[in-house]
Amino acid sequence: MSLEGKLALVTGGGRGIGKAIALKLASHGADVIVNFFRRRDAAQKTANEIEALGAKAEIIRANVGDPAKIDEMFDMIGNKFGRLDILISNAASGVGRPVMDLDIKAWEWTMNINARALLLCAQRAAKLMDGRGGKVVSISSLGSFLAWPTYAAVGVSKAALEALTRYLAIELAPQGICVNAVAASAVETEALKFYVKEGLVKDSYHVTPAGRMVIPEDVANVVAFLCSEEAFMIRGQTIIVDGGTSVGLLSLAGKEDNEHG
Amino acid sequence: MTVEDQIREIVARITHVDKSIITRESTFKGMKADSLDVVQALVAVEEAFEIEIPDEEAQKFKNFGDFVSFVEKQVAQKEKV
Ligand SMILES: NC(=O)c1ccc[n+]([C@@H]2O[C@H](COP(=O)([O-])OP(=O)(O)OC[C@H]3O[C@@H](n4cnc5c(N)ncnc54)[C@H](OP(=O)(O)O)[C@@H]3O)[C@@H](O)[C@H]2O)c1
Repeated sequence: MSLEGKLALVTGGGRGIGKAIALKLASHGADVIVNFFRRRDAAQKTANEIEALGAKAEIIRANVGDPAKIDEMFDMIGNKFGRLDILISNAASGVGRPVMDLDIKAWEWTMNINARALLLCAQRAAKLMDGRGGKVVSISSLGSFLAWPTYAAVGVSKAALEALTRYLAIELAPQGICVNAVAASAVETEALKFYVKEGLVKDSYHVTPAGRMVIPEDVANVVAFLCSEEAFMIRGQTIIVDGGTSVGLLSLAGKEDNEHG
Repeated sequence: MTVEDQIREIVARITHVDKSIITRESTFKGMKADSLDVVQALVAVEEAFEIEIPDEEAQKFKNFGDFVSFVEKQVAQKEKV
């Protein structure tokens, strides 16, 4: 599988899963634009690691929750490169609160960064991909169809993201653009450490049929495949990377009962 | 308007606190600001002054005065350049 000569943009590519994706694409030969928001240092470090793999890297600061900043980012990409082959809509943020405590500000913040950003980025990216046959991959989570305490705003934003992924897949197909999503269960990153610390997610080693937790590279492997020509006939799908957690939920309930005597 | 007054206006708008009661000793916690208010205030100030406030620096701010002093330094440095 080669992504030689391709140019990729990874939103939130400076750390966590986005970083793993950026490095994976680079390891297959793609040049990568790393978008970041608050952590320039992390983005720069990722860019250095991409260059160490022999690919070109660029960092761009933009809050993807802000339409004007998305425009500035794509203006810059358009002016400097005049093209784009791969868009990974990975950046996410969210307000962790029970539904009854969700106010409009928290709702909009989460929806704008997690869902609306895909719409606005894909609209601009599709123009830069025209005639090149691009790939768009959005990063979702099991919260789009399962419910966890305080995850409502993010979960709903991910459901919207997955639905939009399907519409984009159909409407961009005539341009030869492939659009899919990858949804992960709990992945070992800083974001997860927060949820575990707050007691909202249990360390999930023991509930994953595959026997270990999902790591960022597991997600990156599937994303890289979806960006390859081998995945040409996969369109509008959400591929779940969870080590079997979601299909094993019922057997899990039995397991916990047994464990507790 | 001074840098301090501009920041005070931004913080007051985001936290819905009357700007006349924001002093250099005020804290985000005292203004009942949540983590989202804090990020939005940081981003709004960054955009107003075209500077960057790294999270590691922001975490060191004990009160509004520390926030203002940091921004004043950044603005002065920018003007020098
Ligand atoms: N971790 C998990 O357990 C898990 C599970 C399933 C799905 N996911 C999904 O995987 C993706 C990456 O998650 P992660 O765990 O790697 O997240 P993370 O460690 O919390 O990092 C978030 C990333 O998003 C960027 N970001 C946040 N707000 C942004 C904004 N407004 N504009 C631009 N960039 C922004 C951050 O950039 P800065 O650092 O520069 O601020 C950072 O790179 C997300 O879509 C998340 O929902 C994560």
